Amino acid sequence: MIKRLLLLDGVVAVCRFRDDGAFVEGYGQMPQPELQALAHFAHEYKRIVQGNADQLAMFTNQRGWTPPGGWIVRGGRMSVCSVANLVCVIDTQEAAINTVIRDLTEAATY
Amino acid sequence: MSELDDLMQLPGAQAAFSNNDLGELLDHRIAEKSPMDATTLDLLAHMCVANMAIATMQARGWETSSQSGGFYPVEGFTLVGMQWSAVTNGRRGVVVSNDAADYEAAYRALGAVGSEG
Amino acid sequence: MLLAELMEQRGVLAAGEYSYRGDRYSFKGEIDDDMARMAAIMSRATSMSQHMQVGMLEQHCPDCGANPAQGWIVRGPQFTVCNVANVYAFLDNGKASINAVMGLMRERLANAPVDLV
Repeated sequence: MIKRLLLLDGVVAVCRFRDDGAFVEGYGQMPQPELQALAHFAHEYKRIVQGNADQLAMFTNQRGWTPPGGWIVRGGRMSVCSVANLVCVIDTQEAAINTVIRDLTEAATY
Repeated sequence: MSELDDLMQLPGAQAAFSNNDLGELLDHRIAEKSPMDATTLDLLAHMCVANMAIATMQARGWETSSQSGGFYPVEGFTLVGMQWSAVTNGRRGVVVSNDAADYEAAYRALGAVGSEG
Repeated sequence: MLLAELMEQRGVLAAGEYSYRGDRYSFKGEIDDDMARMAAIMSRATSMSQHMQVGMLEQHCPDCGANPAQGWIVRGPQFTVCNVANVYAFLDNGKASINAVMGLMRERLANAPVDLV
């Protein structure tokens, strides 16, 4: 139940999407169309981060960059973080990002 | 005429813009009947800066890994959409209809002429 | 075969194709297998990025005609990379015509799938 993530301080919304980008479920203080848009964005962003990690591994000849575990975009007021096929919108000041990432990682294995 | 007015003379030009290093719109022109607006151009200008940065990173990595040259520094990036293309040099950009797009002319107008261009 | 056709164009140094899944690539021209693998990884990453960007532009301006992305061009001082769908070509700026190469690629790949699967 990814809904449990909403119990964490500062978590505004959480969504799950499929590997092909289809919206699976979403909860939180955002209307449904925005949750779907968030899932869509996160899917696209995941593929871009995968592409960037591939390039980082390729250019540096270092192991350990791929496959990427997730990504975080930190904004002044809001941030977005994603692990596997889950994405969370959080309040930058209120949320404990380490906890959110840890719980996202755990929830991704449900 | 300003540089943006020059860009608007390109075949199929729908819009021209200049932006700062962050991608924020500084100035722009929009052709009559074009669906573009300043907000869209501002987003597009941010994308242009992001794309130039990524292409520059790729050129650097490519040249280091392949021990070759010719891509760095990147002089221009073009995003080819369904009906139009956005050509940028990172500081200025022009949106041209794909049907009429002359990429060579756009790069010339943007000063991306290359060492052998 | 489009790659062979591209190689017949004046100033085209190499041409390649890649799968969006990242598990397959093929190429022709003056690059070795390592360079082709790198080119495929970079081109795929850039295409993914363009796909997202035009999606955002479309949300911003539904009637602008951006979506779906068709491709992109990176212009360096000596060389240019043109990409349409999942096919790329390396061009020598001094000899090749971007317009001709893009025209051929857009024509041949007009019906290419746009969902990047």
